[in-house]
Amino acid sequence: MTVALEELRTLRDTGRLAAGYPRVAALLAELTDTADRPDAETADELRRCGGLLARLRPQDVLAHHPDTPVATVAVTGHSGTAQLTDPLVAELARHGLLPRLVTGDHGAYLRDLTDPDSPLRRCGPQLTLCVLGADAVHDELRAPWTVADAEQAWHRLLDRLHAVAAAHHADGTGALVLTTLPLPRRLTHQIVDQQQRALLGAVWRECNARLLRLTAEHPALTVVDLDPLVGESGPATDPRLALYARSALSPAILSALAREAVHVLRARQGLTKKCLVLDLDNTLWDGVLGDDGPDGIACGATLRGEPYAALQRVAKQLAAQGVLLAVSSKNDPGPVAGVLRDHPDMTLRADDFVSVQAGWQPKDAALRDIAGRLGIAADALVFADDTAAERALVRHRVPGAAVVPLGREPARHVDRLLADGWFDTPTVTDDDRHRVRHYRAAADRSRLREAGGSYEQYLRELGIELDISPPRRHELHRMSQLSLRTNQFNLTGERVPPERMAALCADPRQLPLAVRVRDRYGDSGLVGAVLARRDGAALHIDNFFLSCRVLARGVEHGCVSALLAHARDRGLSAVGARHRATRSNGRTRGFYPSLGFVPRATDTGEETHYRHDLAEIPGPPGHLSVRADFEGDTDAC
Amino acid sequence: MRADRTAGLAGFLDAVREELGLDLTEEQAGTDIDLLPEWDSVHLLRLVMLLERESGRAVPVGAVLAARSLREIHALAAGGPGDTR
Repeated sequence: MTVALEELRTLRDTGRLAAGYPRVAALLAELTDTADRPDAETADELRRCGGLLARLRPQDVLAHHPDTPVATVAVTGHSGTAQLTDPLVAELARHGLLPRLVTGDHGAYLRDLTDPDSPLRRCGPQLTLCVLGADAVHDELRAPWTVADAEQAWHRLLDRLHAVAAAHHADGTGALVLTTLPLPRRLTHQIVDQQQRALLGAVWRECNARLLRLTAEHPALTVVDLDPLVGESGPATDPRLALYARSALSPAILSALAREAVHVLRARQGLTKKCLVLDLDNTLWDGVLGDDGPDGIACGATLRGEPYAALQRVAKQLAAQGVLLAVSSKNDPGPVAGVLRDHPDMTLRADDFVSVQAGWQPKDAALRDIAGRLGIAADALVFADDTAAERALVRHRVPGAAVVPLGREPARHVDRLLADGWFDTPTVTDDDRHRVRHYRAAADRSRLREAGGSYEQYLRELGIELDISPPRRHELHRMSQLSLRTNQFNLTGERVPPERMAALCADPRQLPLAVRVRDRYGDSGLVGAVLARRDGAALHIDNFFLSCRVLARGVEHGCVSALLAHARDRGLSAVGARHRATRSNGRTRGFYPSLGFVPRATDTGEETHYRHDLAEIPGPPGHLSVRADFEGDTDAC
Repeated sequence: MRADRTAGLAGFLDAVREELGLDLTEEQAGTDIDLLPEWDSVHLLRLVMLLERESGRAVPVGAVLAARSLREIHALAAGGPGDTR
C-alpha cells in the first residue's frame, strides 16, 4: 500500500477528509508517480482511493474550501455503471476537481440523455459519460440469431445514439462522451460458419467506425475508442461482472476509460498543457553526457539507442501539433548545445526546443524559468524525467505541473509519456501548428527588449499592426480555443466551446470580433477575441480574451479604443462591459476603468458591470497601427 | 507461494477493510450485509476477486451472492460449511 492510500484512510478515519481535500490531488499525483510498478497495480490502488473519496459529500468539502472547482459528471450506460464510480472519482480528484456524480437509471440511457427533464440533463453536467458494451447489441439478439440480426441491432443502436447526440447538440451542456463497443469472443464464436463469423467482425467494425465518425457532425461529442484501451489493459470484459453485476466492461477498462474521459473534460475546459519539459540523460538518450561524453551516449538506431530515438520521434510528433518542447537537464550548457547541434543520432535539434535549461540550478527553478520565458503559467508544464527525486521536487514545488514518471526500462518511455492525455485538445488549429514559430519570434522580441532603450522605444521598434474584424469561418475553432486557453487575460474567465462559438457568430445581435496581430518579427495570427453584442442604442462587451503572447503591448487598449470609436461613429449612446474576477485574471481588474469605463455602483463581489458614455474616447496607443473593420467581409460568419 | 492472509477471519476482515475501504468491527462480520453501513452490492464481486487473489482458489459466486454475512462469505471461501446464523 502506498503512502497516499494510507494517508487518505487516516484522513477518513479521523474525520478530516473533507477538510484535507486540497491535499488529495498531490497525494494521488504521488501515487501515480511510480515508474516501475505495473500499471494494473497503480490503477487498482487509485480505484481504492476513489472508493474512499466517493463517500465524501461535495457540500462538506465546499464548506471547508468554497473555491474547490466542482465537476458535475453525469454517468449512464446500457448496463450497470456502478463499477465506474470509484475510478472516475479518483481521476477527477487527481486533477484537483471535486466530483459531483449524477448517475442514471439502469439501462435507461436513451431517456437519461434525450429527455430534457431527466435528472442527468437537469443537473447541467460539464461531462456526460454514456458507457456502452457489446451487450448494447447482444441484448437485442434472441437465439437463434444471424449476422444480419446483429447488423440490424447495431443499426437500431446507432439510430438511438444519433438521437442522443442530436439532443445533446440541441440543448445539452458540456462534453458528451460515448464509447465504441468491444467485440467479445463469446459473441463471435457463437457463429460456427467461419465466413459468417468474419462477416460479423466486419459489420461490427463498420458500425464502430460510424459511431466514431459521429464526432465529425457533433463538436461536443467525443467517442472513446475502447480498442486501444483493451489492447493495452484488457480483457475488455469479465464474464462474472457481466452476468452477476451487469457491468459490460472489466474494471481495468473502466479505469482506463475514466482516465480518458477526464482528459476530455480537461481539454474542454482549456486545461490542455502547453509545454513538455524533457530531461536529457537517460531520457532523450542512453547514458550520462557529463560522464560518457558525446560519443558515449546513444539515441540512434542501435539496440541501446532505439528506445530513446522512439521517444524523440514522439516528442517531435507532439511538437508538430503545437506542444512546445523544452529541456531541463543537470549538465553543463556547452556540451548539451554541442549534442543538440552535432550529434549524428539526434532526432530533436536545438530548433525543436523553445527553451534549453542546461545547468545546475534545481529543476523547479528551471521549470519556473521556462514558464516565465514563454509567458505561460507553470501549471501548463508537463515534466518527464527518469529520476524520481527530480520528479518529487517538481511535484512539491511546482504545484499543478504534471510529471511523467519514466522508469528503468526505456522501451516503456513512450507509453509513459502518452499514458495521460495532457496535451489532448478538442481540435488542433493552424495556430497550434505554428506555435513554435510564434515563440521563436517572442525570443527575438525579448532580445530586442534586452538590447536597451525605453519600453516605449521598444514598442515603437516592434512596429505592431493590429487587425480587428468579425471572424472568418475557418477561424471559429481558433476563437473557441483561445477562450479555452486564456487565463490571465480572460475578462470573465468564461469558455466558449466550438459549437457555441458557431451559434454566437450566426446570431445577428452578436458582434464577435477576431483580434490579429503582427510585427516586424512575424505574424502572431489570431491572438484574441472581443465578444460584443448589439443592444438597442448600446453595445455590450460580454467578454474579451487575449493570448498572453501579446500582453503588455497595448493591444488590449487598441481593441477597446477602436470599438468605442466605432460605437460613437454609429451614433450609439454607450458601451457596456462586464468583468468577472477569476483566480488568474487579477491583473485585469483595472482594465476597463483605465479606458474611462465607470463601474455600476450596485456591483459587489466578483462580477462588475461597466458603462462608457462615449464622451471622451481614449485614442489607440501611439505605437500601434490599427485596422478595424466591424462589418466584416463576405467570408465573415 | 505467499501465505493467504484471509485464511483466518481477522485477516479476512483486514483485507475487506483495505479493499473496500469499509470501517468494520469483528462483531459486524455476523451482521446481515445489507445492514452494514456503506454497503453496496458492487462490493460483493470485489470481495470474490479479493478472496481469489489471496487464496489462489476459485470462489463460487452464486453462493457468495446468496450469503447473508461476511462470516458466511469467509466460510465459503475457506471451503467449509458456512455459519448460516
